[in-house]
Parts: sequence; structure tokens; C-alpha cells
Amino acid sequence: MNAVGKLLSRRPSSLRVLSASGQLGYGIPEKALQAGLARRPDFIGCDMGSIDPGPAYLGSGVMATSPAVTRKDLALVIKAARSLDVPLVLGTAGTSGAGPHLDATLEMIRSIAQDEGLHFRMASIRADIPVERVAKALAANQLAALGGTLPVSLADLQSCTHIVGQMGCEPFDRALHLDPDIIIAGRACDTAIFAAIPQRLSFDMANVMHMAKIIECTSICCEPGGRDAMLATLNASGFELESMNPDRKATPLSVAAHSLYEQADPLTFTEPDGTLSVENARYTAIDNRRTHVTGATWEHASQCTIKVEGSAPVGHRAVLLAATADPRFIQALRDLLREVETTTRALVPGKYDIFPRLYGLDGVVAWPAAGAAPPREVFVLVEVIAPDQGLALAAAKTFKQFLLHQGFPRRLCTGGNLAFPFTPPELAAGPAYRFAVYHVMPVDEHETLFPVHLENV
Amino acid sequence: MPHLVDMASVIRSKNAGPLAISFDLMFPTEAAYSQAARSPSLTPTALSSVFDRPAGDIQVTHYSSALAIKITMPRSVVSGSPGDRDVYGAQQHLPLLGLHI
Repeated sequence: MNAVGKLLSRRPSSLRVLSASGQLGYGIPEKALQAGLARRPDFIGCDMGSIDPGPAYLGSGVMATSPAVTRKDLALVIKAARSLDVPLVLGTAGTSGAGPHLDATLEMIRSIAQDEGLHFRMASIRADIPVERVAKALAANQLAALGGTLPVSLADLQSCTHIVGQMGCEPFDRALHLDPDIIIAGRACDTAIFAAIPQRLSFDMANVMHMAKIIECTSICCEPGGRDAMLATLNASGFELESMNPDRKATPLSVAAHSLYEQADPLTFTEPDGTLSVENARYTAIDNRRTHVTGATWEHASQCTIKVEGSAPVGHRAVLLAATADPRFIQALRDLLREVETTTRALVPGKYDIFPRLYGLDGVVAWPAAGAAPPREVFVLVEVIAPDQGLALAAAKTFKQFLLHQGFPRRLCTGGNLAFPFTPPELAAGPAYRFAVYHVMPVDEHETLFPVHLENV
Repeated sequence: MPHLVDMASVIRSKNAGPLAISFDLMFPTEAAYSQAARSPSLTPTALSSVFDRPAGDIQVTHYSSALAIKITMPRSVVSGSPGDRDVYGAQQHLPLLGLHI
């Protein structure tokens, strides 16, 4: 019997769940992890990904995290789980959880096992959704953009390099049936990482999902928040939360406030398998750094829905980095950018887009009106997106030279309008992507969409 | 009338997925929270001029357990698409700081 089988056959009435990392690959604070292991958790979970870093990682198939740090983090949690002989559950492998991300992570795990002389049974779950399946939902008018507007056509779907579906608990549950030591999933709900095992052990689903929702971010629910390992203890009365860093306090207010984080609605959370409401949840201090939670409600969905995410290339990006400290140039800058764009388009023909951002003026927020006082310095970032890298760079180079020497009334700085921090100031940034799909669709065929593969490592 | 920045303990923005942005206002006391929750400045209609967005796009949720108010609206540019200014949406809170409550 392996780690999952041993845990499931023990059927503990109180389950200790250790969340080791909210996004594996940036470094795991080791002191808190060790403190968590000393508490003998029944299983360890880690999220490895997020949609936050934008479309480039899903589009390219590359991880956002450094391979070296990712490998080190993986080694830490694998050795930890194996030393206690408890299940390790990892979700959203390699940042975005598409095939290349999962494969690269599996390769790392096999190499760690070899280096450390470890042997275990590993279940992996793929999350790549065939474009035809999403096209079928589109044709049936069953594809709904999530949280905003994102029109999508069949051509948009076909332009995606990767499309993933965010799995809920069902695929994890199928993996649990195979009695592995480690489960690693492609794109997955953060909650499913922590909810699948307690669900299988028949803990109350409302408490399970509420706990999962909070601890997937480790100690962010504490005051002060941080990335240290978080322990949840689940029993029939609800669950208790405790950070494994003694300086981080899980208070009723800090835990309740965590429901706000990265959510459109702080009271209701729609998951593939149902809806969690925390409207009537009760948060009670056990002491000054532990909180007991209960009272959420869970409504099981009659129809399972999953979120599908797809990223599509939009061309190649070049960026120009420059700055200015001349007050008259700063005053004229918006007009001059338009003039220089016209000049550039006349001299470098082709279809491309130019997006200037003026840091100090409107680089961060698209202000409807100018600020009261002009800034002393302005950083000029010009993004060019073109069908190929050569054209993007050509436009950026010409834009740079004409902006440097563009004349304007009452100009003082006839030596040049711009300060370049280094040369070349225009850089090739490689392929650029956009989210072309961020929609929910109803699904029934979990086994086809999220297949489980078992291997002995 | 106090400014929001002088009443709140947290004023933050962050994506709620790549298509939506969400603003959290958190208050240190029940009194400050209640005052803000009652304020006409924090209704979809009032916020539509702050963010230059239709009121119908703006959702305001009061969350008393956390002494917090959440404001959610669709992003004007999908996160990370060409021309986006803030991929994580973590620096879009400034227009809220000077609101009179």
C-alpha cells in the first residue's frame, strides 16, 4: 500500500493539511516548512501556478519560475512527503499546467528521484483541452466569458498554442483510486489540490472547500501575510488555521478578509463541482494566532462546469527604453509621439502596432486628465508588436532615432531629447501572446479531458 | 468629509482573473467601515465617474465580517494583451485614494 492508500485506510477523524507553497518555484521558506513537518501533517499540498503572470507562459509553454529554483522547491516537498510517507498533491504544474509545463515538471521530479535515490508511485493528470472540444461548446453557445468580455471565434480558438481546462476534484479523486504517493496535475483549481483527499474521507464539503480556498495561498491569510507554510486541521466541527511561522497570526479578521483576495465576489465562489458561500461563516479566535472557522455552505452543482484558458500568439514584441528630464520636451511629449509614429510608419512600412507608455505621466494608469504638476523625469517605454521580430525591431529603432532628434517650438535640448540607460535601447522581446479564451463551459466527460497516468519512479 | 485614504487600512487593486479587476477597501474599525458602507461616494453610480466606466459594469459588495468593501469591474484591456499597462492589476487603486466619504 502507498501513501494515499495508507491515509485513506486510517480514516483519521481529524485531518492535518499542510500547504507548503502558494506558488512553487519562487523559493519555499524552509524554517516554516520544517515546523509544519514537525506537526506530522496527513498530507502536503502545493499549488504551482497561476493565471496572474499573463498570457506568455500558457502561450509559450515555458514556466514563469526559474528551472533551478523550481527544482529545488520540488525536491524539498518531495523529500518532506516521502520522509513522512504521506501523500503529496501538486496542482497547475509549471505555472500554466499545459502539456509542456507538466512534462517539464515530471522530468524534474524523475531527475530529483534519481539524484536522491527515491522511489515512489506518481499519478499525473493532463489538462490540455482539444480545440475541437471548445469549438463544440462555442457552436452550442455554451462558452461564457468569465468576469468580463472576451469575444471568441473559431479562428481565435484555432490560433491558441495551448488550451487548458481547470480541473476540479473529480480527476484528483480518480488519481486517489490508484493509490499513488504523489499526484501532480496540469491546470487545476487551487482548491482541488487540498479538497480531493478530505472529500474522499467524507469531511463536510463546505468546510473542506472553505479550508482549501484559504490555505492554497499559505500564510497570506495572516497578519502580517506571507508565504510561509500554513497548517489546517479539519474535523467534524470545522477547521483550525495556523501559520507555521510564529510571527504570522491567523486572526478572525485576517482570515475573513482573505476571501477578498483575487476574487470578484468575496462571499460566493463558483467551483467546477459546486458553489461555496461564506456569507454565514463564523471565525473564532482560538488564541492570538489561531482561528477556528465553520459555517460556510456548499451547494453541489447539478452540471459540472470548467474554466478553459487559451493563449494565442499576436506577433513579436520589441521594446524601446528611454527617458527624459527636459521640461519642455515632457510638455510636448504626447504630441511628439504622434508625429514620430507618423514618420516611423512612413519610413518603415508594414502592419504593426505601437503602444507608448509614459511613466511619470500615464504609464501605470490611463488617467483621463493630466496631473497638476509635470513630473521632473519621464520614462518612455515604447512597445511595438509586429508579425515578425525584424519588423518590430526596425520600427522601434526608427522610432527611437526620430524621437531623439524631433524638433519642437522653444526646444532647448538640441543635443537630443532622450537619455538611454544603455545601448541598444531597443530590445527584441520575442513572441507576444494574448488570452484568447477565458471562458467557462459545461463538461461531463472528465475521464477523456483529464486523463490520469500512473508511473513508478 | 474625510478622504478614503485617511479612513481605510488597505486600498488595493488586483485582477480577479484576466478579464476583471477588483478593488478592496479594508477598514480598521466597525465605525469606519459603516461610514464608508453608507457613503454615496462608493456606489456604482458615483464610481462610474471615478473610473470612467458605465455604472452597470461596476459591482460593489459589502463584506461586514472582514470590515471590507469590494468593487469589481471588467478590465478595459485583457491582462497581458498588447498595450496593457498593468498585467497583475495591482497598481490601479490610485483613483480611489482621494475620494471623499
